[in-house]
Amino acid sequence: MTAARLSEVPRAGAAAQAAAPARAPIEIAGVSQVFRRVGQVTHALDRVDLNVAGSEFIAIVGPSGCGKSTLLKIIAGLIQRSSGSVRIAGQEVQGPYTNLGIVFQSPVLLDWRNVLDNVLVQLELRGIDPRGYQARALELLGKVGLSEFKDRMPRELSGGMRQRAAIVRALIHDPPLLMMDEPFGALDALTREQMRIDLEKLWLDRRQTALFITHGISEAVALADRVVVMTPRPGRIDRIIPIDLPRPRHKDVLASRRFTEYCDQITECFMRHGVIRY
Amino acid sequence: MSADIPLQPVTPPTLGAAFAGWLRKRAGVLIVFALLFLLWEYAVWIFGVKEYLLPPPSKVWVEFMKRSNTVMQGAIVTTQEIVGGYLLAVLVSIPLALAVARSRFIEESVYPVVVFLQIIPKIAIAPLFIIWLGFGFTPKLLIVFLLCFFPIVVSSVAGFKSVDPEVMDFAHTTGASGWRMFVKIRLPQALPEIFTGLKVGAALSATAAVVAEFVAADRGLGYLLQQYNGQLETPMVFAIIVLLSLIGLAVYYLVELVERLVIPWHVSQRPAGVTGI
Repeated sequence: MTAARLSEVPRAGAAAQAAAPARAPIEIAGVSQVFRRVGQVTHALDRVDLNVAGSEFIAIVGPSGCGKSTLLKIIAGLIQRSSGSVRIAGQEVQGPYTNLGIVFQSPVLLDWRNVLDNVLVQLELRGIDPRGYQARALELLGKVGLSEFKDRMPRELSGGMRQRAAIVRALIHDPPLLMMDEPFGALDALTREQMRIDLEKLWLDRRQTALFITHGISEAVALADRVVVMTPRPGRIDRIIPIDLPRPRHKDVLASRRFTEYCDQITECFMRHGVIRY
Repeated sequence: MSADIPLQPVTPPTLGAAFAGWLRKRAGVLIVFALLFLLWEYAVWIFGVKEYLLPPPSKVWVEFMKRSNTVMQGAIVTTQEIVGGYLLAVLVSIPLALAVARSRFIEESVYPVVVFLQIIPKIAIAPLFIIWLGFGFTPKLLIVFLLCFFPIVVSSVAGFKSVDPEVMDFAHTTGASGWRMFVKIRLPQALPEIFTGLKVGAALSATAAVVAEFVAADRGLGYLLQQYNGQLETPMVFAIIVLLSLIGLAVYYLVELVERLVIPWHVSQRPAGVTGI
């Protein structure tokens, strides 16, 4: 509805944003999470320590129910942690952290807004005039192949397209931190492959600090600078594997010997914990 | 780059196109109605049914035309009661629903009382209103209000409370204030359920007005209905029943029209034909 009116505004906001440094180091120390429900105590996370450098891409892999989503929500300040400390860009996280973009497993688009307005709601909710971001939104939508679909309503799109719109919404305000909670979990294998390639491209543009939760081993290796492997509940960090592969990670990189070795290392971690059995 | 296949596009409904579409879709229903009236007309004639038992549609029409002035004046009174009571119900119940949804205290203190009061048969209260407020417009307005109020409150509370937790998580990461969150997320998300209640209320409103007039009135369609019934003027009874149905239908469709204009993204998603005619 606002699309027509917005189109004549120049991309002032986007240009100003591009100058901002995309750095938000994260320090996580001794984070534990205990859920109490009628006489039942669940240890979701057990003393997690992790330091993430600014503009580093971290993938967190773990079996279902290991608390990796909980960890992400704790870092974002969406869940109150039982103990430990989380600092982003030097600041202790208390309550929802807002200087970030977030993508969930489901796209969480607003049914009553078209694709472009769903992207711009990020700014509206922040009290920022979305007009200055029109051009940037269209540019990002173009990068994920949604240019022609900017006026479509979410229900008119496939699952993959909706998730692309959600990723653009998470990036439109150029946050220094991008958090993704199994963003490709509900997609088919082919779409997933393409989304991974697109995500790497988008990330290489700005190199935000990125946290990516997944249970796909090769997906984690393909995307991350470091892969954090978690144990089954209570979630603990089992190993942190630095991935020394060139970017962008095209198919020859993914077919390389070293790529396979990294995947094997993660698989072995899971075998040790009985998550994967042969 | 995307291999995704978009689903079928949804065209925004314009009024003219909507009416043409309605006519095409409902042609079958309209024909059946026409046939029923024909059958009625000739069955009465063939079997020689007495007029005061079941008058033929043509007779109903003729009698109605003779006294259309009186009847239309009654119709105006009744319509005013319906619209006034309904609007009052909307104005009171949506803010109340919002308060119930947002405040634990109000939900636990005020809402149970509202639900309890609802159990009292409203029609049984009607005579009390007459004692308190007399014969005029106000007691009818209040009875319409009472009957429409509850379905709107209940569905609006449900609407305001049914917020997708992940949408709220997303909204929290933007640091949006409560008001902005309400305008941009909570209210639009609640609207489909609010409209469900608004339609139930609209469907009840005509019944409420007639019942109120039955109890005590000196004007309105409910009053006329009783008059004609007492004099065994059955064709006029039929005429008023038809007129009342038309008013009820008009109120209902007006609400549905507003719904189409306010939440087209939801209406077009709903399977067709759910709402009947």
